[in-house]
Amino acid sequence: MAHTEAAHADHPTHLQHHFVSTEQQFDASKMGMWLFLVTEILLFSGMFVAYTVYRLWHPEVFAHSAELLDWRLGGLNTIVLLASSFTVAMGVHYAQTDNRRKLVLNLALTILFAGVFMVVKYFEYTGKFAHGVFPGVNFEPQGVAGGHDYAEYNIPYAAQFFSIYFVMTGIHGFHVLIGMIAFAVILRRAARGDYSHEYYTPVEITGLYWHLVDVIWIFLFPLLYLI
Amino acid sequence: MAHAGHHITPRKTLLRVFIALVVLTIVTVVTSRLDLGPMNVPLALTIAVTKALFVGLIFMGLKYDNRLNAVVLSVGAAFVLIFLFLTLLDTYYRGDLPITTEETIMDEERRNEALRSRDPGVSQAAPAPEGQQEAPAPEGQ
Repeated sequence: MAHTEAAHADHPTHLQHHFVSTEQQFDASKMGMWLFLVTEILLFSGMFVAYTVYRLWHPEVFAHSAELLDWRLGGLNTIVLLASSFTVAMGVHYAQTDNRRKLVLNLALTILFAGVFMVVKYFEYTGKFAHGVFPGVNFEPQGVAGGHDYAEYNIPYAAQFFSIYFVMTGIHGFHVLIGMIAFAVILRRAARGDYSHEYYTPVEITGLYWHLVDVIWIFLFPLLYLI
Repeated sequence: MAHAGHHITPRKTLLRVFIALVVLTIVTVVTSRLDLGPMNVPLALTIAVTKALFVGLIFMGLKYDNRLNAVVLSVGAAFVLIFLFLTLLDTYYRGDLPITTEETIMDEERRNEALRSRDPGVSQAAPAPEGQQEAPAPEGQ
């Protein structure tokens, strides 16, 4: 920006010119993020509705097919994401209390937990592919593992269950990756000392995004893995 | 030091909420392995909604925020329910109306038009090619 130091003397550098105060800017940023989160909720709800319709049409096939998903891995991923939400909330707390070191630590932990989630999902996906469980037309379950004879699951509408599983967890996983990248940016800025109790908005709103990713999984886990 | 509008949630509260979420996850898993008949799905969903409320109210700060944010979320959630409800109304009642045929209405009209132009004496209601629910029409002479 072309302004000089003198021109900025009357307001903090983080305050953008179209806002009256830091408070208003913070509130507007938060509300803007909430509006975006609602669009994300509607995005996932399209898939949840598809799942609901197919489940109501073929309840036994869906319940049976879910047996091929390992609830222990799904449960582990749930705990991992809950922990990452906890570290995000702690990070915001430390930004509010001007504890840079602990803010950086919690942001790093959040990214780490997200990475663990993606690694578990990688093993889940490759495990499925190894047994011919693919989304869409290539669905051809075969082999025997973990007490399951996969050929038993080659029944009508099982392919729909797994297509929905791959698309829903895939798009969710994509959101996890986006969150990891966003937090990496935030982490770098936090390490540089850009945030304080005066200005920590990016930490707050990225945190909001991350909590929603966690909430989506809170619903995905029981619907796909458990029931 | 907090600004007037910025509520700082104590770390103890955050930890307690996290522990509650983990406990609820364990409850979800344990109850899903029991056979509760038709109650399995509603119970799993109720626990999921409770967990989401914990995350939304405490972690995301809706409890302490400007009410407008909670309103925004509630309106979004309401539209999700409307979406689900209307979709289920459609899918649940498909196939209920008895007047459906394999042909489209326009195909049927086109066929009638072609027959009428060939032989004006033929009656309006010509049978569908696959011979479905309509009464058979007299053959054109």
